[in-house]
Amino acid sequence: MRPCGIFDKSYTLDIAIIRTWQHWVILISALILLYLFPLFGSYYLTSFLNLLAISIIAVLGLQIVTGYCGQISFGQAAFMAIGAFTSSILTIKFGISFWIALPLSGIIAGLIGIIGGAPSLRIKGMYLAMATIAIHFVVIWLILHLEITGSFKGLFPSPPTLGGFEFDTDERMYYIIMTTMVIMTYAARNLIRTKIGRAFVAIRDNDLAGEVMGVNLYYYKLLAFFIACFYAGIAGSLWAHWITVVDCEQFTLMHALEYIGMLIIGGMGSIPGVFFGVLFIRILNELVMFTSPVLAKTLPWLGASPAAALGLISFGLAVIIFLIFEPRGLAHRWEIFKASYRLYPFAY
Amino acid sequence: MIGFLQQAITGLMIGSLYALVAAGIVLVYKSTHVVSLAHGQLVAFGALFFWLFFGGLGLPFWISLIPAFFLTALIGLLIERLALRPLIGQSLFAAFLMTFAIFIVLEGVFVLYLKGESRALPAFLPTGNIAIYGISIPINQLISFFVAILLFIALSLIFRYTKFGLGMRATAEDHRLAQSAGVNVRNIFSYIWILSALVATVAGIATANVMDIYYMLPYIGINGLIVAICGGLDSLLGTLIVGLFLGIIENVGAGYLDPLVGGGVKDVAAYVVLLLVLLVRPYGLFGLVRIERI
Repeated sequence: MRPCGIFDKSYTLDIAIIRTWQHWVILISALILLYLFPLFGSYYLTSFLNLLAISIIAVLGLQIVTGYCGQISFGQAAFMAIGAFTSSILTIKFGISFWIALPLSGIIAGLIGIIGGAPSLRIKGMYLAMATIAIHFVVIWLILHLEITGSFKGLFPSPPTLGGFEFDTDERMYYIIMTTMVIMTYAARNLIRTKIGRAFVAIRDNDLAGEVMGVNLYYYKLLAFFIACFYAGIAGSLWAHWITVVDCEQFTLMHALEYIGMLIIGGMGSIPGVFFGVLFIRILNELVMFTSPVLAKTLPWLGASPAAALGLISFGLAVIIFLIFEPRGLAHRWEIFKASYRLYPFAY
Repeated sequence: MIGFLQQAITGLMIGSLYALVAAGIVLVYKSTHVVSLAHGQLVAFGALFFWLFFGGLGLPFWISLIPAFFLTALIGLLIERLALRPLIGQSLFAAFLMTFAIFIVLEGVFVLYLKGESRALPAFLPTGNIAIYGISIPINQLISFFVAILLFIALSLIFRYTKFGLGMRATAEDHRLAQSAGVNVRNIFSYIWILSALVATVAGIATANVMDIYYMLPYIGINGLIVAICGGLDSLLGTLIVGLFLGIIENVGAGYLDPLVGGGVKDVAAYVVLLLVLLVRPYGLFGLVRIERI
């Protein structure tokens, strides 16, 4: 958001994330508001924001691999599961502190993600999408059939502690989740403007052309998968220690599809798009949750609890509408708004 | 040996179902180059509509086939008209994502209708088993196996010898060239979705013959997709062969490996096969290798 008449006079300014002092003011006040939120926000809203932030972390990873690097992945939920189970096993079975388990689960999910991303070296587009769906099912099957992951019963990790202080309520967990989200968002936004980010965009736009220009396809594709799965692992670890119950039912293919849907609605290839997409879908879901009991009362043929089915229908319809009318997602609308704000009061 | 053959034959019967499901996906791909994730839903809805008239209303078998075919074809047509036609000219990947969105919407409708229950189709084929050399084969599965084979032959003949099939093959090659040669590409798209929905209905009825209609039924579409991709997406013969083999691999693998790993090989065998095939032959076993240009 830059008002009219401010120009970038150097390359450093052009790629800067925060460009004017107004940006600093907005950013700092937004951060203060974010951190003070549990003091005046209700319990419901705080836990809703926790869910939002975890989804945002997972979708940020997906944005990097799918939105920027162009390698579609339907495996994000499975890698989140890997993160959640790794973190739980590390803290329960090995007694490692949460603060070490959090990055470790990200790294382990990322390393497994490299194996998962290996098919991308030979196949792309729809074939890769199917391969990642296959990886999803193989991962979930392994989790269900290995002894260490607690099989069908799942695991019960404990909330993190710091010097005797236990993060056992949603309000307390909020600070950990939000801090991680802010750091991860900054890391993603920064990554995009580096050499790695430009290489990703080159691979997305045309991988053969990118290779001719000197982009090492294998290295960067695997790196994209590593980063995406790292994000998923972190999100999974946070999820595990927030909910304190992990089982495979929380990481189904439908969740992976939901993340892809958030990406489409938010807009591929845009970090703010992740926020828009996650917000849109989660709020839509909450609206359906609130309206479905009323609907069930007025329309008895819907059955006693149509919330899940109505949620699926509304989500699918939203994705269809966006694919037809705004394939570039909400982020594109945001760009249009920014451009017109910059030119205000002139038309062009 | 008898045990192995028994498992292989049972697998062959299941495999014919996979091939039937995959046939609809291959049909759509062959003429539009869109890979349909939503096909499993068409299969499920085909089975559901048939149940509505056959099991629900108690109509005779042949009469209840007609509305089932009609309604599923209508869904196929609506998908094409409302969702995929606006995407003509955009990247194929957008169309793939569109079929995924359709999958979710139809999944919602399916779950909403079933409300967590399951529907069992009354037996409409002769029951009992045939025993050959000590291997017993259920008659109703044998019938659906032969129906699948016949359907594949019919589809191949349509593609090879009719004008309609020629139009579809031309459309698959290049939309604009086909149009300038007098093929009505839009109509071809509608017809192909209707045809695919009809095949899906057959697959749905055949599937509902061996298992209940419940919320997991649409996911047979994913197995169909695996078969279609392993077979190469544009080869009907490849689809049939891979479908049958996948059924055998699943069943035999489950029979021999389940005691070793503690069960559940059946759930994951197809995905492992897919990953292996994609790593060795990225365009499927019988598919056309496409050479890419910048």
